[in-house]
Amino acid sequence: MGRSTYAFAFLMALLLASFPSCHTPPPPPVDPRDALIEKGRDIFFTETFNGNGRTCGTCHPAENNFTLDATFIGSLPRDNPLFVAEFNPALKENFENPRLMREFGLILENLDGFDDLANEFVMRGIPHTVSLSTSVASPKGPRTGWSGDGSPGDGSLRSFATGAVIQHFTKTLNRIPGVDFRLPTDDELDALEAFQLSLGRQSELTLPLRLKGTIARRGQELFMDSTVGKCNLCHVNAGPTALFGGNSLGNANFNTGVEALPDQPARLTPENVPTDDGFGRPGDSTFNVPPLVEAASTGPFFHNNAIETIEGAVAFYDGESFNNSPAGRFLRNIDPEGAGIELDGTQIVEIAAFLRVLNALESVRLATDALKASISDKVRTKEQAKELLRTAVSQLQTGVRVLSEGRLHPNAVQSLLKATQIVLAALEHGHDKDLIKKALDEANQARSDMIEP
Amino acid sequence: MNRAIVVVSTLLFIAGSVSAQKMTEMYIPIGHSPGLSGKFTTLGKVTSVNVPAKMVTCTYGADSIEIKVTPRTIIWLDKSGIKQPNQIGTFADCSIGRTIEVKYVNNARSDGGEAEWIKVQISGPQ
Repeated sequence: MGRSTYAFAFLMALLLASFPSCHTPPPPPVDPRDALIEKGRDIFFTETFNGNGRTCGTCHPAENNFTLDATFIGSLPRDNPLFVAEFNPALKENFENPRLMREFGLILENLDGFDDLANEFVMRGIPHTVSLSTSVASPKGPRTGWSGDGSPGDGSLRSFATGAVIQHFTKTLNRIPGVDFRLPTDDELDALEAFQLSLGRQSELTLPLRLKGTIARRGQELFMDSTVGKCNLCHVNAGPTALFGGNSLGNANFNTGVEALPDQPARLTPENVPTDDGFGRPGDSTFNVPPLVEAASTGPFFHNNAIETIEGAVAFYDGESFNNSPAGRFLRNIDPEGAGIELDGTQIVEIAAFLRVLNALESVRLATDALKASISDKVRTKEQAKELLRTAVSQLQTGVRVLSEGRLHPNAVQSLLKATQIVLAALEHGHDKDLIKKALDEANQARSDMIEP
Repeated sequence: MNRAIVVVSTLLFIAGSVSAQKMTEMYIPIGHSPGLSGKFTTLGKVTSVNVPAKMVTCTYGADSIEIKVTPRTIIWLDKSGIKQPNQIGTFADCSIGRTIEVKYVNNARSDGGEAEWIKVQISGPQ
């Protein structure tokens, strides 16, 4: 190679280096964990496992905070696979109870076995799958589902999908693997677990928060007061773990007397609703403690969807069913005055308001994270960006709903509504960073209306 | 209140350490139980049965192990290989020559250990 050729090559190199905009920088490498989560997301929402058409997302839809309620169910088309018992003759009997599903959001589970399908079952709500990384681990082993034992195999969240496919995805009640469904592979279980663990909070809050609202702030005081609300004993930092006498019990099970509630909605119908005996076989009447941060947006409440509103759920602990239960009696026994939980109407609303604000703050956090991610260099496709914007819309709307239903923080509600409109415009007219930044400003404004910096 | 009393009282109403209900396990074919098969279970062939003592000897590879069947042991018939629905079985189904998978109580695998469940492979008409 001659000297002039070297000189030309050197000049070209200089030229290229002086125009960095001429070549797009390579995207950052894909984090293997992110790839696994993405794979899990795809399986969760699209994989039917050769079954009756249901996916995990059928009962845990992202657009409804990964749970079901009667209102959402009512919005679904008649041929949605959730209603498979209504149009698949092989599943007409003893697979679901369509009336209880449509009226109360209840699904059928054969938790004590499949020997007597007509009589041996329970009717349960759909627990959300958010913040599972804070609620599955327990000193006594993993806790999945309402009673903490919803998983076959080793009982882990990873194994949960296998049981769910057998229970809910089957084409017939024969439940023959390879005929009525296929079982998830090890790789699919890994991916599903990674996706589910990625949802929502990855750590607990630290209470008390510096809340601005008078009612929510008082609600927080009552929540944390171990002589009044006593909520923080079993829901430390509004999470799923219990702490007594300085000893953490982790994510424990308790018999709180929910099954003893009078006038449970499903039992007001002529339908057969057997007693739910909770954990174990035969059951010991205990159920697992759920986190409360996301509670206000994920009702109805308790394993049997017995109570529709968060105010009603708080009021449950002031009632006879709870105070006469083993858990209620225990709280009375350790109270210096021998008192159970006694709350007046104002206090019930205040604790519920606190939970509503906690939920709204979490929704704003998730929306903010999604908006920021949508304009980050981690996003590789337009569809990924749109998915993040849809998540942001869903979370902003959740924030609006939980605050509005409690008539709380009207200014924050207006900011969240504005943010929602902006993100919807960004979805419609193309991904615009300026629009996303405006939406972030509104979300931040909503947050600062609810809590001190 | 004394902390020890609190803890003991607490434990009185918290779920005991009974094994989780895992009834969908019935439909999982032998060798495919997630998190258990290949780690905590024994998969092999029945080589002898002691009916009075309710003991089953299972041979796997060059080794064998005795398994105690109790009234709490659940026995399932795995008929997935012949495309038929799995069923509840009995001790009598643990007959010599059949392939079984055994999960031990508390995953405590030991000679003479108590079985929590046994899956018996049914490969043809009974």
